Amino acid sequence: MHIPDGIISTTAAIGGYAAAGGMTWLSLYKIKQKYGNPRNGIPRAALLTAAFFAASLIHIPIPPVSVHLVFSGLLGVVLGWFAFPAVLVGLLLQAVMFQHGGLTTLGVNACLMGLPALMAHRLFCLRSLFGRRKPLPNAILAFLAAFSAVAAGAIMAALLLIYATPAYFDAAAEKTAVLTLSFAHLPVALLEGTFTAMVVLFLLRVQPTLLEADQK
Amino acid sequence: MQSKFRSLSSTCLVGFAVAVCLIILPADVALAHGAELQYIERSAIEITARYDSGVPMANAQVAVFAPGSPAEPWLTGTCDSEGQFFFTPDPEIPGLWEVQVRLAGHGDLIRIEVAENTIGATGTTGFTSLQKLLMALSVIWGLIGTALYFSRRQR
Repeated sequence: MHIPDGIISTTAAIGGYAAAGGMTWLSLYKIKQKYGNPRNGIPRAALLTAAFFAASLIHIPIPPVSVHLVFSGLLGVVLGWFAFPAVLVGLLLQAVMFQHGGLTTLGVNACLMGLPALMAHRLFCLRSLFGRRKPLPNAILAFLAAFSAVAAGAIMAALLLIYATPAYFDAAAEKTAVLTLSFAHLPVALLEGTFTAMVVLFLLRVQPTLLEADQK
Repeated sequence: MQSKFRSLSSTCLVGFAVAVCLIILPADVALAHGAELQYIERSAIEITARYDSGVPMANAQVAVFAPGSPAEPWLTGTCDSEGQFFFTPDPEIPGLWEVQVRLAGHGDLIRIEVAENTIGATGTTGFTSLQKLLMALSVIWGLIGTALYFSRRQR
């Protein structure tokens, strides 16, 4: 899901930066509007950025490919509007430290993981329809939110990669490889869904206020 | 008697001619199938493409760019199942060669300096596991530090 430098066209990279810039502005605006003093939300955001940063280093071998955890759904569920800036910072650190992703594709990657995170947040907000403190709806929505965040990210990345294969590479072979990789994200989505549901159940029991990203 | 001698000598002559032909002809025929082998010692470059988890990028697509033409690949090919790819850069084009490896949107670009006589140069785009661990830990500690800083009680 992390697109490295030199894989997509310059136009796509610039478009990604524009979209990510707009989304960051919107997120910061919403944070200011909702929380007033953003300092209160920063410790949580920083810790989940650390989790997001470390998650990409945990590889899960699913032959014939190797995929890694993303945690975009978890970030969305717990952080709300803080998720997009958190993803952006996490991706910047991954790109600078490990060449995982790239600086020119930072905008595109931020959209590929940040937008599903915000979508997961909206999905998790539906819990107000079922009772905010009831464990079962919370767990189910958390699972669905994280599952769909990984799936949406994988689908968006696949479409972008198939669309943006340079002419000198064999497009058909690359398409097959991209599709194989996308399907390999299915177990990751299931795993992250389960993990996020467990985190939500745990937080619901010990510190429910941490899940109130949609309130305040 | 004389005619007998003549016929004997002519038989000998014919026999000799046939023998010469038998010796020469196969040599001629063999020469027509002759192979000529030449060799020039050149340095080839072996690319090994792995994910940073260590799994080889099997059947990854490779594009090799000669110095001075970053848009048109000089050579394209495919890694084997071990993620390996061999190519011999043209020694007539010294400079910075670029090799791009791509598989399902994953990939990297490595730059290889090709001088007139390069033998045994090695290079890599990655870090060792220990370096990675230290870098990851320092980043995580930075983020935890940020969290601690902002969560301290405000006066």
